[in-house]
Amino acid sequence: MDNIASHENWKSCFSEIGPGLLLFARQWTRSAADAEDIVQEAFVKLWRRNHRINNRALLYATVRSIALDFIRRDKRRARREATVFADADSTVEPQFEWEDEAQSALAAAVNCLPHDQREVLVLKIWNELTFSEIAGALGISQNTAASRYRYALANLKKSLQPQ
Amino acid sequence: MNDFPELENELRALRPARPSPVLFERIEEAMVDCRAGASPARQPERLPYNWWSLGFGLVAAAAALVLLLARINTDQTRNKDKEVAQVASASETRPVSPASSGRSGVDGSISSNKFVPAGATQVVYNTRNEGLQFADGSRQPLRRLRYQTQQTWQWRNPSTGASLRVSYPSEEVVLIPVSGQ
Repeated sequence: MDNIASHENWKSCFSEIGPGLLLFARQWTRSAADAEDIVQEAFVKLWRRNHRINNRALLYATVRSIALDFIRRDKRRARREATVFADADSTVEPQFEWEDEAQSALAAAVNCLPHDQREVLVLKIWNELTFSEIAGALGISQNTAASRYRYALANLKKSLQPQ
Repeated sequence: MNDFPELENELRALRPARPSPVLFERIEEAMVDCRAGASPARQPERLPYNWWSLGFGLVAAAAALVLLLARINTDQTRNKDKEVAQVASASETRPVSPASSGRSGVDGSISSNKFVPAGATQVVYNTRNEGLQFADGSRQPLRRLRYQTQQTWQWRNPSTGASLRVSYPSEEVVLIPVSGQ
């Protein structure tokens, strides 16, 4: 599992990390298909460069970089980036498989988080990155990552409280 | 630090959607395409080392050229001194000290043929941020910057005014640790 290139059973490895990667990529895309394109490109890029798959911060930094390139590549998206991305927090939805109403409400609350907080939350909860790895992937300090995470949880708690 | 353990557990219970089976096929196809096309090991990382080799080669060639020119000119001056000494001994008009004559002549030739460094410039004409990477076994992310430069070295002979200039392109990759607080 050290290296994608020499990793024979990459499918089982991808089954493990794929859902989290996809969810992370969905932060910048409107459709699952676009997110899958990004994840595919990132995964193959790491494989081509012989990077280690367990270098998770690099893997997520690559996904993020490709996602941002993906947005810029399309001029229409680039134009929308300034306008739609400002209020994208309520329109770009991560995909979850929920089982009941409580989980549905939780998923909706996650979708309403500010983008920078949701980004850290997705990496921490569903991708199990450490704050150090999150900092590396997003190009922020560990303290910033930790505080965004705390803000995200506080905001979720607040939004889930009965009115 | 953790004030919301229950909320975190609830969040973990919420499962993200699984990738479609088509994605697995697409990745596999892309990997096969890569394997059939460019080898994964063939990356532009080797390029800077080639440029450096070229640069060092040029500098070494220039240095060898300077030494060769200096040697030729010194030999010519020595021959002239020898001729002058022979003429002087033949005419016997004036006693000439060969030692002092030779020394002053050779010293003069060395000083007149000596090239001294006159300048070195490095013009960075392109900088490219190639993103983050991690060194083997390190958890500290490094930002990879590629500088493309034009280096110019110049030597000058103070007594003759001759100058020699060598200019070559070079490429440098710099890894800067990304600091976390």
